[in-house]
Amino acid sequence: MPKHNDLEQKALQIIMNTGNDGLSQSELWRRLGASSREGSRIALKLENKGLIRREKELRDGRWTYRLYPKRLPASIDSIADCPCMMCPESPRCSPTGAVTPQNCEKLTDWLLRITGNECKVLGDS
Amino acid sequence: MLSTIDDATLTKVAGALGEEEAVKLIEMLKNSEELTDDEIANKTGIRLNNVRKILYKLYDHSLVSLRRTRDPKTGWFIFHWKLQPDQLEGFILSQKRRVFEKLNIRLEYEKNHDFYYCYTPGCKRIPFEEAVELVFKCPTCGKPLMHYNNEKIIQTLTQKIETLRKELSE
Repeated sequence: MPKHNDLEQKALQIIMNTGNDGLSQSELWRRLGASSREGSRIALKLENKGLIRREKELRDGRWTYRLYPKRLPASIDSIADCPCMMCPESPRCSPTGAVTPQNCEKLTDWLLRITGNECKVLGDS
Repeated sequence: MLSTIDDATLTKVAGALGEEEAVKLIEMLKNSEELTDDEIANKTGIRLNNVRKILYKLYDHSLVSLRRTRDPKTGWFIFHWKLQPDQLEGFILSQKRRVFEKLNIRLEYEKNHDFYYCYTPGCKRIPFEEAVELVFKCPTCGKPLMHYNNEKIIQTLTQKIETLRKELSE
């Protein structure tokens, strides 16, 4: 049997991945492979920890809870390919430093790549 | 503490550290409670010095924690490494803030300057002030400099900054 904390972690991931749509509590315990009792306990715990919110809703004539994440999962997609991320020159990089974001060639190359500019050989002075 | 980061993001962060080996190493740590650098090297096949290099890099960003014990036989220190997934969100946020700041500086620069370019592969764009001093001649290839439209770069930068602004305010 999985550890309780593992189940909580799994439940949190499931809820967070639903984004703003949320999911019903019954759907959660089904996806977790847990019992309804366990499912509702985990949902309550996550709510108490401030990670999710529960909203009462009427479904098929029965009251249930819909679970929504309070925060969306942190994603690195928007910066994953940006050269500034984990740049080894970072400590030296500033507007007036030895390396500057204004003239950084790596940054220029990246900008041209994502811009889809035809002139890919362009550098910066 | 419960982590709000899924495994896919964890792998992406490892990839962003610039090394394929970092992905392997994180995968290994993810599935274990605590490992020594020797154990990681043996299990992953990554060279010990590389394992240490990656671990120190991760440690610099607080993505792993370490516990030190002394080998009773040799008296040497043994380092036990553990992944700290709960630190990942903070790491991603701080990286986003840093990128956001750099892109803003770049956007201002792009907006406030007119650029001239000889359109020769390998040559560089030159801001108007410098181009005047160079009498509009490329200092590298000697060809005449012509106006370079950076509108697309400005557009791309603006979009990226807006995306990051939204993500940072969530």
